[in-house]
Amino acid sequence: MLKNYFKTAWRNLLNNKLFSFINIMGLALGMTCSLLIMLWVKDELAMDKFHANDSRLYRVMENQFFSGAISTFPSTPGIFAENVVKDIPEIQMASQFLWEEEPLFTVNDTFDKEKGRYVQKDFLKMFSFKLTKGDVATALARPDAVVLSKKLADKYFKGQDPMGKMIRIDNRENVIVTGVLDEIPKSSSLKFDFLMSFDLWAKQNTWAKDWGNNGPRCYVMLAPNTSLEKVNAKLKGYIKSKNKGSNVEVFLQNYGESYLYSNWEDGKPNGGRIEYVRIFSVVAIVILLIACINFMNLATARSLKRSREIGVRKVVGASKRQLIGQFIGESLLVSFMAMGAALLIVLFILPSFNALTDKQLALNFGDASFWSTIILLTLLTGIISGSYPALFMSSLKPIVVLKGALKINPSAAFFRKALVVFQFSLSIILILGMIVVYRQIDFIHNKNLGFAREDLLFIPLEGELAKNFPTFKQELLKQPGIKNVTSASSSPLEVGSSTQGVTWPGKDTTKLILFSSNPISYDYINTMGIQLVNGRDFSNGYGTDTLNYLVNEAAARKIGYKDPVGKELTMWGDKGTIIGVMKDFHHNSLHVPIEPLILRLVKKDWGYGSFVIIRSEAGKTKQALASMEKMVKQFNPGFPFRYNFTDQEISKTYKTEFTVNKLSRYFAFLAIFISCLGLFGLVTFTAEQRTKEIGVRKVLGASVPGILAMLSKDFLRLVLIAIVIASPLAWWAMHKWLQDFAYRIDIGWSVFVIADFAAIAIAMLTVSFQAVKAARANPVKSLRTE
Amino acid sequence: MIKISNLEKIYRTEDVETVALNKVSFDVKEGEFVAIMGPSGCGKSTLLNILGLLDDPDGGSFVFAGQEVAHYNERKRAGLRKQHIGFVFQSFNLIDELTVYENVELPLLYLKVGADERKKRVEEVLEKMQIMHRKNHFPQQLSGGQQQRVAVARAVVNRPRLILADEPTGNLDSINGNEVMQMLTELNDAGTTVIMVTHSEHDARYSHRIVRMLDGQVVLENVMI
Ligand SMILES: Nc1ncnc2c1ncn2[C@@H]1O[C@H](COP(=O)(O)OP(=O)(O)OP(=O)(O)O)[C@@H](O)[C@H]1O
Ligand SMILES: [Mg+2]
Repeated sequence: MLKNYFKTAWRNLLNNKLFSFINIMGLALGMTCSLLIMLWVKDELAMDKFHANDSRLYRVMENQFFSGAISTFPSTPGIFAENVVKDIPEIQMASQFLWEEEPLFTVNDTFDKEKGRYVQKDFLKMFSFKLTKGDVATALARPDAVVLSKKLADKYFKGQDPMGKMIRIDNRENVIVTGVLDEIPKSSSLKFDFLMSFDLWAKQNTWAKDWGNNGPRCYVMLAPNTSLEKVNAKLKGYIKSKNKGSNVEVFLQNYGESYLYSNWEDGKPNGGRIEYVRIFSVVAIVILLIACINFMNLATARSLKRSREIGVRKVVGASKRQLIGQFIGESLLVSFMAMGAALLIVLFILPSFNALTDKQLALNFGDASFWSTIILLTLLTGIISGSYPALFMSSLKPIVVLKGALKINPSAAFFRKALVVFQFSLSIILILGMIVVYRQIDFIHNKNLGFAREDLLFIPLEGELAKNFPTFKQELLKQPGIKNVTSASSSPLEVGSSTQGVTWPGKDTTKLILFSSNPISYDYINTMGIQLVNGRDFSNGYGTDTLNYLVNEAAARKIGYKDPVGKELTMWGDKGTIIGVMKDFHHNSLHVPIEPLILRLVKKDWGYGSFVIIRSEAGKTKQALASMEKMVKQFNPGFPFRYNFTDQEISKTYKTEFTVNKLSRYFAFLAIFISCLGLFGLVTFTAEQRTKEIGVRKVLGASVPGILAMLSKDFLRLVLIAIVIASPLAWWAMHKWLQDFAYRIDIGWSVFVIADFAAIAIAMLTVSFQAVKAARANPVKSLRTE
Repeated sequence: MIKISNLEKIYRTEDVETVALNKVSFDVKEGEFVAIMGPSGCGKSTLLNILGLLDDPDGGSFVFAGQEVAHYNERKRAGLRKQHIGFVFQSFNLIDELTVYENVELPLLYLKVGADERKKRVEEVLEKMQIMHRKNHFPQQLSGGQQQRVAVARAVVNRPRLILADEPTGNLDSINGNEVMQMLTELNDAGTTVIMVTHSEHDARYSHRIVRMLDGQVVLENVMI
């Protein structure tokens, strides 16, 4: 019997190649999309979960209370870890963990900057990063230990055993290799080429040893069977117990969860990457559903053609259940064929998808769980798409269908139309979403940041450069292609540090106000291209400018001076004067609003900051780079020349959004394409059904455009209904997405006009392609076929 | 074998009610060959469909092989149908996607007859209908007469006790039509009960008895000698 079903199904597929192609292709594309998203989601969900102690590993989070708001950061005082293990017995181990640093490694003649982390002695015992050489228990015990990746071991000690060898760091310290790391699993969000002792770093950064300063991250491991609530309760007032005036509270977040749940608002978790996981899961389901609907639509439409078979099968004794089984079986057959095609397509485009999403996803053919997922997905798709046609067809009355006078059942026709509306609504939502995402990204990309991001470069201020900056600046300015040079503590991308240590006469001392602060050297305003609304820039001509301040408009508002220029301001105990007000510019990402900012000149004993910022002459980037390289090599021979373009770096900070932008474009395109495939099939079918009617009408004098209109009208109406349904839903969804940006576009009506027009145009194009063919057919021919 | 009494069938559409069968009663004995005749629209096909358990009546009683079946549900009717009844239609109603062999085999598949037995029976009946040489052809590749022979083969392959034929010769020329009538007669001679709807007095003469209908009622029964 199965053989009989299979033969019938197979011959039906072969006899209707166009419909079979549309069905299989539509499903395959939908499945491709679902598979890719499933791989991505699975990968995201598995991030950072591979550590053996997963359930006991936590990240220390800090709530900071300023101006009535709570800001949450993963930063702690640098002495938090060593104290908390002693003070709270439930915390079995703890390790500070520094942001990525890039010190200079030198071994004989080989030198380069390497990216890695400063951690503490228990780090490798807490986390499951394996060593190929050395012992996790002791590798980080000595303060001058370094653990290298295989890559670095090969780079500096080619062909030798690196263990026990010495490396010079930043031309300042010597460290000893105590271990070599195994490959870091793909599913680790922490990536590093070396691990060194946090103490080594802290020696140079004594500020980190103060309970009042926060910066380094801290990870802890709880003892087995410890209640998180209990530990969190103990931690709440912990920092205050060490530092009376503190206004921060710490708590723990599970390390495995911190990758997906990284956003905080008002001290509570507020999404993060998990939102993209959710959005894309929904997109995967939606696109698969759209593809299933194609199948349902075409199958029910085609049931007219198969009604005789159904009638005959019933007459010779098929039960309804057997028929349902047969038709579900057929859709499973199609579904399996589509899955085959989908797997091929996925194999083909996975490399590009990986490049786009910055992942290393792979189809794991050797894995039983992979196959069971695939089979489950195929069965599900087959059953969903086959269920309605099967129910519909199996309940056709044999006497009716055998009489050959099966009329289009009005309820089935309604259902089919509803499906088309549903399908197009989903597509329109995706198109609308795509346009909004595109516009928002474009907005970010081109937003006037308040400073000139083009032709702006920055390089680290390090080594000899840090000591001889004024001479370096003088020399560099003489070189071709260089327009301005300055230095600052923060890069143009982000002013990372902030302070409460700002006072002025009349300040309400009960309120804690946080100011971003960026000590700079001369010519900062010129180099950055910041506008002054009032007052003047720092200048060599005024001897005492080291005690003066530039504030941005936001800071001026917070301070409350009506006319701030010339008024008194004290920062870190230095009483001085506000000499100018800067027009607000984006000193951080567009995800956050512009915060109050104070600029001051670096003092003699602070050095000149961490970055040299250089403006090149417009269009002379090449010369400027050559000049910079020449001068850096001359002043800093032991360091490699590294530079950053500000505009490129800014773009990089929106990487996720760019990826989403691209993906949303592909998915929206796919959705509308699959929907149109279905529409195309339906129109073809309708035209086929109405060949005779069209013929008769033409014989009676109907024109081609008239017939075209007749065939298109119904479909156009469906698309219009879809627009009405989709528009508010899309508006709501995109409005929510935009809330993630402090600076965002308005979803204007033009978005809807574009999306709706596109949907109508695409649908009409699809419909007319077949309709024109039907309308222009020779009526004599079409009537003769009856 | 069949006993119907006061059988009623009413078709209701939005505004019209059509009484297709109005208190029809008659019996058919095992092994009989009955022809039903009457003008177009008088309810012949409706009656045949009810007799064939394809449709259910709105009133009256229908006893088939000793069981009251008027109110059987779809599943029970399908069960009886595949066991005991074979159909032949005016418009052959073969499945286009199946070959001659596969079309004839279909009822046996639904009866869950074993593979060997199935092959034996299908070939036997194809032989008898002289269509064996065409067993791997698809219906479109056959003439009308050949198609109807396949349809008859399919109707008898499950060895039914009752064959229902609705204008089996309606789409055939007289030579092919006579051939089909010959087959039905042979089957009847072998013991199968045959009920046939026809417009042709010539075909009706093959039967033992003619039931004449008018406006949903039986008006006359003539017994042939
Ligand atoms: N599905 C239906 N809905 C409504 N009315 C119907 C339906 N089927 C049949 N009828 C009506 O019932 C009556 C009997 O129809 P039936 O098909 O039994 O006639 P018939 O005697 O077989 O005619 P013919 O010789 O033309 O085949 C007719 O008046 C017909 O219009
Ligand atoms: Mg009839």
